Amino acid sequence: MNEFLEQFLIESRDLVAQGTDDLMALAENPSDRERLDGAFRAFHTLKGAAGIVEFGAMTRTLHAAEDILASLRSSEEPINPDTLDEFLTCLDLTSRWLDAMQSAGEAPSTAEADADNMIARLVGSRGAAEVAHASAPGDDTWVGRLSVAAGSHFTEYRTALRYIPSPDAFFQGLDPMNVVAALPHLMTVDVVLTDPDVSLETMNTFNCSLEIVALMEAAGEQVRAALLNVPGKVEVRELASTAIRQSEEVQTNARSLIEAQLLVLQQSDVDRSVGRRASAGRTAVNALLYLGRSELAANVELAIATTKAENSPDPLIAAIEQALSGTGQPERHNNSPTAPVVPRALRVDMDRIDALVKLAGELIVVKNAIGHAAKLVHENEDPRAVIATLREQHALFERLATELQSAVLRIRVLPLRSVFRRFPRLVREIAVSVGKTVRFITEGESTEADATIVDALFEPLLHVLRNAVDHGIEPPEQRASAGKPAMGTLILRARRDADTVTIEVEDDGGGINVDRVRAVARARGIATAESLTAMSDAEATGLVFAAGFSTASTVTDLSGRGVGMDSVRTAVERLGGKVTLESQAGTGTKVGLMLPFSLMMTRLMTVEVAGQAFGLPLDNVVETTIVPRDRIVPIGAGRAFVLRDQTIPLIDLADTLGIQRTDTLSRSPAKVVIASAAGQIGAIEVDRLGERMDVMLTPMEGLLNGMKGVSGTTLLGDGRVLIVLDVEEILS
Amino acid sequence: MTIVLHDANTIRLIGTCPADDGEVLLQHLLANPQAEVDWRGCESAHAAVIQVILVSRRPLRGPPAGPFLERLIEPALRRAGCQVPPSPRGPEVRKR
Amino acid sequence: MPDNSSKRVLIIDDAALVRAYYRAALEAHGFVVGEALNGLEGLEKLLLEPFDLVIADINMPQMDGITFLRTLRSKELPVSSIPVLVTSTEAGPHDIAAARGAGANYYLVKPIKQETLAEYAAIFCGRPR
Repeated sequence: MNEFLEQFLIESRDLVAQGTDDLMALAENPSDRERLDGAFRAFHTLKGAAGIVEFGAMTRTLHAAEDILASLRSSEEPINPDTLDEFLTCLDLTSRWLDAMQSAGEAPSTAEADADNMIARLVGSRGAAEVAHASAPGDDTWVGRLSVAAGSHFTEYRTALRYIPSPDAFFQGLDPMNVVAALPHLMTVDVVLTDPDVSLETMNTFNCSLEIVALMEAAGEQVRAALLNVPGKVEVRELASTAIRQSEEVQTNARSLIEAQLLVLQQSDVDRSVGRRASAGRTAVNALLYLGRSELAANVELAIATTKAENSPDPLIAAIEQALSGTGQPERHNNSPTAPVVPRALRVDMDRIDALVKLAGELIVVKNAIGHAAKLVHENEDPRAVIATLREQHALFERLATELQSAVLRIRVLPLRSVFRRFPRLVREIAVSVGKTVRFITEGESTEADATIVDALFEPLLHVLRNAVDHGIEPPEQRASAGKPAMGTLILRARRDADTVTIEVEDDGGGINVDRVRAVARARGIATAESLTAMSDAEATGLVFAAGFSTASTVTDLSGRGVGMDSVRTAVERLGGKVTLESQAGTGTKVGLMLPFSLMMTRLMTVEVAGQAFGLPLDNVVETTIVPRDRIVPIGAGRAFVLRDQTIPLIDLADTLGIQRTDTLSRSPAKVVIASAAGQIGAIEVDRLGERMDVMLTPMEGLLNGMKGVSGTTLLGDGRVLIVLDVEEILS
Repeated sequence: MTIVLHDANTIRLIGTCPADDGEVLLQHLLANPQAEVDWRGCESAHAAVIQVILVSRRPLRGPPAGPFLERLIEPALRRAGCQVPPSPRGPEVRKR
Repeated sequence: MPDNSSKRVLIIDDAALVRAYYRAALEAHGFVVGEALNGLEGLEKLLLEPFDLVIADINMPQMDGITFLRTLRSKELPVSSIPVLVTSTEAGPHDIAAARGAGANYYLVKPIKQETLAEYAAIFCGRPR
């Protein structure tokens, strides 16, 4: 099953998003039938997909939800808010299961218990009156009950039936006991009351309130045929077969198929019969061949012609009935599916792939031209002509390489919508849990960004949004007395400027209380009293990003993790971005996340240290300067110097990276590059400063992955490997 | 006569019990709180009768005469909570 | 004597995941597989290429399984007698009767295990696996 896991995950995430959309729209407008249909289709298709990857817990949970949606569709009643909430919770649960499957390749061990829970909640939200059955409609606990009844024989049965006669069955002259007694190959039966609280004193003997479950050895098709005209609720389930009875089962399937053709023939009406009768004949012939009964097959084949000639199904029916007394010995082999790990996958626009294909073609042309030029040189052609060709081809190549780079990057980009669409629901939940009312607006969700960034943004944005709702927006009474509308406004907005994607979370709450920030910072030892007084209000506000800072006295239960803004900043900077904060007391707060449009291009400054080339991300470089040796003084275990009244530690790169020092201290002034990251600052002494370049970073793999201080590598024009430094790690 | 009140402690089911017997059985059970149901003479019973037996939770003396009842319904009733003394033939035999 | 040449199966279902799943099951057992997204496409394919079996879902947009069957069976062409196995998420007897009435030869309820699908395909095509 697992080769489909990747596709299943992609499609399911899409469906969850669509379903959530429809449900959120239903929350605004409960009588929107189109949205109800949309939600139903989403749950229905999700359930089908879960069936294919054999995720039983997900199948039955979604089935329960789908049943409720189906009854809402047909009954025209508006959806009640509790049920709507439970549907949303159900999709949340599904998302969590999808996440687990993505990382572990299989469903979590809690899935069955989660499913039971969720089903109970779904059913419970409808109110007791609607639940008339002994077990929730659509789930398979009745199959489990049967397995208890049948004991060790359970695995030998092929089909399970749940039959709930209509309450007026007796009035219709029906005896459900007769229906059951007529089932083919009946092995076990269970009978329970649909209302366990009924007593002799209160019961009505003319109303049927029984639920009957049964196990049979017959194939599902036969069982269904036997129940054809029976009113009431009938559910037939084929059971998993085991190795023990496989050879029998195969034979039974073939027989069952042949028997079914009799029903087809008996049902044929005058027009449309020719094709139908012949198809029944063909099917029967093939099934008999499958069983190895070629003479019987030949007889039926003849009967097909006779039936057509006489324009009557009788010859064919007779021939098939005659053939049904045969048996066969087919063999069977089993494939056991293996379970590969699930790779991460991406939905890509075909046009973008086509663009790549086109570029690849053009590059090949250039390659050929250059090859030709090389050949000309070899043949001592006029160098000026060759030089001209080379120049021309190089220019062409440069253009194509740039286009190629940008085409590849475009494949990785996604609209931010995919992460934004999870928020309306969550913001609503947070608001409800802290007793606030919030109007949540998203803008610019079609803005695109690299897939890695889009994925990684969910948690930091959730933190920021939660803070805004929890601490930013004031309680309604407080807002009213401040002359603000009781409902707070929270805006999540995205836009692209050249190479940067900017995401802002803006609220019209009370703004950040700078005095409180200063107080907390002092209390937690984040800054000294003097530095706090010296800081401007804007700088002090920025302290919320400091490690160890959090004004939340309790951690809200939604994530269970710390809600510190420092984790937001770390996450954003790790992606190559930065966080900004603007706040005005009484008016509101705006948090900005500025991220590179694509992760892969990094602007570097190259340097040479101890004979080795290194790259420093330009984002981390503050300045380069020369420091006289006598200004470098030992401090503790290291060295430092003072620059414009600031003490800057001098990092020994060779030591930090564990590479060999080639020479000892020289007397000439030190060339240093001053770098900063995550609030830390330091200087790196270099032998030589190189040029600046834009590079595509190759992520670290294998042995180098754990190497401290290194964030990636890239290849230089002369073939050397350039190691790109992770400034934050080096400075810490 | 398919439902017979033998005495205050026994209600007998005999032969083929139709749908209306459900109501008859119910009345007997209500009037005789100590009575148990004896269906050893019962060949077949309508679902309405089975339903009353289920609700009553009275001791059920069998095995019933009819093969369908004996093979499939009596064990089902036992699992549903009716007090059915074990059949003298031992646990139910699965017939193929 | 059983015919061992490659048997051709046409899968008609609007879900890509389902088609991929069935295709894998059938190709692993030596069947040649064609696909169509709905009844209309299915009919077109059947008129263009020879098939030994059709596996069709009931619920599809544009043209559903029932309409597909009725249209197929009403034609006076050799292709009208092709065996059809119908698949559906519905398990009720009336759904099965409706499919049979329209001209289906058999009915399987989803989810269908790959093993089961391959086996029925083999039976339908008269070829032991």
